[in-house]
Amino acid sequence: MSSTENLITSIQGLSASSGDLSALHRILKGAEETLRADSDLQLSTLDQLDPSKHSLGYLYLLDVLTCGGPMSKEKASEVVLLIARFITSCDAEQIRLASDKFVSLCKGFKDRVLELEDPLRGVAPLLSAVRKVQVSTKRLTALHPDCLQLCLQAKCYKAGFSILSDDILEVDQPRDFYLYCYYGGMICIGQKKFQKALELLYNVVTAPMHSVNAIALEAYKKYVLVTLIHSGQFSVSLPKCASTAAQRHLKTWSIPYTEVGNCYNEGKISELQAVVVAHSSDFEKDNNLGLVKQAVSSLYKRNILRLTQKYLTLSLQDIANMVQLANAKEAEMHVLQMIQDGQIHALINQKDGMVRFLEDPEQYKTSEMIEVMDSVIQRTIGLSKNLIAMDESLSCDPLYLGKVGRERQRYDFGEDFDTVPQKFSM
Amino acid sequence: MAPSSSSGLTFKLHPLVMLNISDHFTRVKTQLNPPSSSCATGNIPAAVGATFPQNFRVYGCVIGAQRGRTVEIFNSFELVFDPTTDSLDRAFLEKKQELYQKVFPGFYILGWYSTGSEAHESDMHIHKALMDINESPVYVLLNPAINHAQKDLPVTVYESEFHVIDGIPQSIFVDASYTIETVEAERISVDHVAHLKPSDGGSAATQLAAHLTGIHSAIKMLNSRIRVLFQYLVAMQKGDIPCDDSLLRQGASLLRSLPAAHSEKFNDNFLMEYNDKLLMSYLAMITKCTSNMNEVVDKVKTAYAKKSRTGGSRIPFM
Repeated sequence: MSSTENLITSIQGLSASSGDLSALHRILKGAEETLRADSDLQLSTLDQLDPSKHSLGYLYLLDVLTCGGPMSKEKASEVVLLIARFITSCDAEQIRLASDKFVSLCKGFKDRVLELEDPLRGVAPLLSAVRKVQVSTKRLTALHPDCLQLCLQAKCYKAGFSILSDDILEVDQPRDFYLYCYYGGMICIGQKKFQKALELLYNVVTAPMHSVNAIALEAYKKYVLVTLIHSGQFSVSLPKCASTAAQRHLKTWSIPYTEVGNCYNEGKISELQAVVVAHSSDFEKDNNLGLVKQAVSSLYKRNILRLTQKYLTLSLQDIANMVQLANAKEAEMHVLQMIQDGQIHALINQKDGMVRFLEDPEQYKTSEMIEVMDSVIQRTIGLSKNLIAMDESLSCDPLYLGKVGRERQRYDFGEDFDTVPQKFSM
Repeated sequence: MAPSSSSGLTFKLHPLVMLNISDHFTRVKTQLNPPSSSCATGNIPAAVGATFPQNFRVYGCVIGAQRGRTVEIFNSFELVFDPTTDSLDRAFLEKKQELYQKVFPGFYILGWYSTGSEAHESDMHIHKALMDINESPVYVLLNPAINHAQKDLPVTVYESEFHVIDGIPQSIFVDASYTIETVEAERISVDHVAHLKPSDGGSAATQLAAHLTGIHSAIKMLNSRIRVLFQYLVAMQKGDIPCDDSLLRQGASLLRSLPAAHSEKFNDNFLMEYNDKLLMSYLAMITKCTSNMNEVVDKVKTAYAKKSRTGGSRIPFM
């Protein structure tokens, strides 16, 4: 009781400047045990503190109060409300001093929100939490995948997509990275931005790993399907930069998908549909049936696209026959859809049902093109700067310097080579 | 020191002399005060870098020819200054004079030069010492302080004259006017030096940068002038300034003489060329990025690759 009172007064007193905050942090760390043992601590004691000014102390008290085991629905929703309010109003500087506690608090928050089966409540607070914990926009935090998971459950893909627009350059935990890319890929699929989904899933599949993990496996299955939808081709071999573990094992676990991919390459709709029906139970288990259906419908598009490379003009009936569509009407609908999406350029002559395929009319002469080019160049300049910074930090890495020194000594011919010491003592 | 000389001599200075003096000064300055990058190891005590000797001077001789009333200063060479006697090293001077006489038979020692912001009393000492070689030597003074606002050259030519000051006749320095005289070869070398940027010596890069900076400043000036005109016209339209018809006529004729730059074809061509240039710079950026990426990948491979006994292993890592 009295120690809690003391603690509260010290929190209120010491939350002003950064020097006081570090002192407060030490006090709180020491007092954590006594807080947990204190059974009289109630949620009402939190009312004495202001979350935006006394964020650090509030964080510790909240953590002690809410990390307990299962609680009743009313209490859970009350706690959820409290935490949500805290997250939106807390001070980012103070939070970063105790980022692990904050992260565990948010994870607990996410679990409760999922228990309450109301993930929408958690999306906005977690979004702001991610922004507050992030030291810089290039660093991945443990909260990113949690936020994305909530967005997926709540089906609000746009909110999740806003997080994905940052370029991530530094990662703390590989698991966070896998989850982030996997959930991010799923969100992009939901938004139908298949290019970005492909990039993210590709990152998971080619990420360095000692042994195959479940996340990579699921990501690989989705990766296969998204390549089919987006680029219309499938190759069984993984890109060369994938880890050896991935290259050896991923294929053995995802046989139905590789079969679908191989069949897709042939280009026959009926065979593809047969394969899909045969493995539909597998697809159902992985929740990928919707994606597989999209892949099947994209086969039509791919076939029509190949037609544009062979013919200049075709009649709608011919298109229907070659692509194995039912009749000319469906062919017309498909071609129209593709023209609207910008995948092909064509003119449909309705009088005699002829389609004339055209070249890409983009002349790159407009001022909009200038803006596109300008933004692309700026992005490349930024990327180049990041790479140079990475290069410099690698050059100072003792591991690298040790190996380089060893290499140089091997080719030491004359005395005028000054020998680089093998070990660098820093 | 009287502001102008009354000897009636006309002085002609060649740019070679000025380049020599400034080069001499810069060389000695860098030798005395090495650039700070070499002191990064921390072995050199900080005192060397801290006390930058601001007030040292370099000395030398100027040579040339005198025809009638025209004194033409062609060349110069360096001299050693003896701080103990506070005068120039005589033996060295004579040796150098002999050598230069062999190469340039027509040139004689006309005077001496030094650096500084203004002429000092002690300089008269050196000046008098040279009087036995040349009855009326000249003193060329270069001010090494860089003053961006100053438009003229920081070079002054002094003569010595006898003036009666406070009843005592003494020789003092008087300012003499001079003109710059160039030979074709000198003009080329001066042009070349003028384009060199002090930071790095890469010729292609600095030429491009110099060219672009020139264009940029020209466009900036054009922009500011058009803006002035525009504001003037707007003020006239509003009635703040009385209408000046002749100016309006001049403005109208200027506008009419502009090339017809608003046609559709011009816009097309212009945008296409612009986009082409952008594409080229994009390609250059991508190449640079790729080479950076390549270096990073090499370093990562060297640092983190597992060493294989059999050699010839191609597995990168993990």
